[in-house]
Amino acid sequence: MDDVLTLGMDVGSTTSKCLILRSGAEIAAAALIPAGTGTSGPRRALEEALDKAGLKREDVAVVTATGYGRATCPGADHTASELSCHALGAHFLIPEARTVVDIGGQDAKALRLNPEGKLVSFLMNDKCAAGTGRFLEVMARVLEKEVSDLAEMDAQATGVVPISSTCTVFAESEVISQLAKGVSLPELVKGIHMSVAVRTASLVRRLGVTAPVVMTGGVARNAGVVRALEKELDTPIRVPPLAQLAGALGAAIYGWEHVREKR
Amino acid sequence: MEKPENLLAPFRALCRNPGAQLDKVLAEGKKAVGVLPYFCPEELVYAVGMRPFGLWGAELECASSGRYYPGFICSILHTTLEMGLRGMLDGLSAVMVPTCCDALKSFGPNWKYGVGAIPVIDAAWGQNRKTPAGEEFTRASFRRILGRLAELAGRRASDAALAEAIAVCNENRAALRAFTAAAAAHPEAVSPADRSAVLKAGFFLDRKEHTAMVRALTEALNALPESRWKGLRLVTTGILADSPALLDILGESGFAVMDDQVAQESVLFRRDVPVTEDPALGLARYLGQAEGCSVLYDPGKERGRELVRLARAAKADGVLWVMAKFCDPEEFDLVPVKRMLEDAGIPLLTVEADQQSASYEQARSALEAFAEMLRG
Repeated sequence: MDDVLTLGMDVGSTTSKCLILRSGAEIAAAALIPAGTGTSGPRRALEEALDKAGLKREDVAVVTATGYGRATCPGADHTASELSCHALGAHFLIPEARTVVDIGGQDAKALRLNPEGKLVSFLMNDKCAAGTGRFLEVMARVLEKEVSDLAEMDAQATGVVPISSTCTVFAESEVISQLAKGVSLPELVKGIHMSVAVRTASLVRRLGVTAPVVMTGGVARNAGVVRALEKELDTPIRVPPLAQLAGALGAAIYGWEHVREKR
Repeated sequence: MEKPENLLAPFRALCRNPGAQLDKVLAEGKKAVGVLPYFCPEELVYAVGMRPFGLWGAELECASSGRYYPGFICSILHTTLEMGLRGMLDGLSAVMVPTCCDALKSFGPNWKYGVGAIPVIDAAWGQNRKTPAGEEFTRASFRRILGRLAELAGRRASDAALAEAIAVCNENRAALRAFTAAAAAHPEAVSPADRSAVLKAGFFLDRKEHTAMVRALTEALNALPESRWKGLRLVTTGILADSPALLDILGESGFAVMDDQVAQESVLFRRDVPVTEDPALGLARYLGQAEGCSVLYDPGKERGRELVRLARAAKADGVLWVMAKFCDPEEFDLVPVKRMLEDAGIPLLTVEADQQSASYEQARSALEAFAEMLRG
């Protein structure tokens, strides 16, 4: 079979990710735009990925959309749920993965994979931004920091200022109260990360923790959250280099499987 | 013979606007009694010549009921109280309110304080519903309620009238069992939302009228050629599974409901009311024999065993638990029942729902993923 290019678009709530896959095996290009569903993000991510690979849309056999904006993704040939796509992407990146934790912009998911990499069970958080990327964005704004600064600040902490609230709105008030008390910022950031970890760990434990545990989604880039979650779950967590692109990768694999079935 | 889609349309219309049905009943000069879940016998209302009107909440924003309830309470009660406070239920002669869960215990007092003009008939029965003492307690309780209803109706409550009402409702139960079997055999003709509308309409219609409509539909379904439908087979469980938006997502994701263990649906008609010399005793025994509902005292969790049996009998690909938000009895049941399903190798998806959900997009993701997972 000649090289077949499949493209996966993961249109999330806060970012748009695009990845082009060659014959289901080799990543040709990828792009990430920090603008999600309902914005120009999906179109820009698609254009950037095609540009990087030196391709045109018509060179791509199938475009598969996933994520919250999948239904309205321009130019998609078909859609797949982000849960299935993260499972496929995580298995591609770390084939031995059995538990996948995906924390995205506005939700968290725990996935259980069988040894063949098939999704066999999953849980999603409730309709609440606590413990998600949005939660970290809100907290970073209160601290007048960038989300990308949080991991480094967490690493500097020598203690922890616990945040008890599980609600984003209440937690924001709690963080402001702590700031008013003049607590150490790194310790406060560590407390914020721990609150995300506690919430996520309860979701993962409800599903059942089977090692190896792999983390995908944008929040996986935050080493502070990963460390806190490792501590909560009492197990090491592996973060693939393309963690944030796992959904788009899974969508591209989904497209590849579709092409293979048709042939 | 009429086509099934034409016969389904009136059920959907009724469920879109149950208030119109109440207005119609009242305009005809009849008296109506609101019946809250769970297991308040409609037969008692029919026996005194009044019309029961099911109160299972509604999909509406709660503006006034927030004075009486916090946000985190069962949406059936929240929205039913809201309907009462807004005057949407004016004209009811009473509301019958059981006390079989903690949230319901506070409903009667809140209603009395907030709505006032429509009296509350408190309904209580023995939690030990299967023992002779529990049966007697429930029988006596139903007799007391019948007496109160007779006062409101201004007529005598006879055993013959109660036995006749039981016979009418049992006929309706049999018709609904036949319909759910026909719907399972023809998912191409009956969507999950259609199935729900047919069952739910019975709470707003006269049961005799409902039975006739359901029988005509069942006959039309049974006349269809053998189905070639190749979708995914579900058994649902929970308190309510009647949100049209959620049910449309089910259909769009390729699912059909083969059977259910939903408190508003088959739990009420899986078994008939036994015919006994004292008809009130038959109603008490019906409650004793009921299974599959989290508000029933069920120490051995027969609910889980029944759900496994139903899923196997329906050759279900999986079970969908429509988890009523903020419902403690349902949350308590989830843990042991989930384990029973896991042990039986039956995949389970839990989707949280309430009647104030503006969007089911997260549920859509979960249902689509469940469908993809089941298809392998």
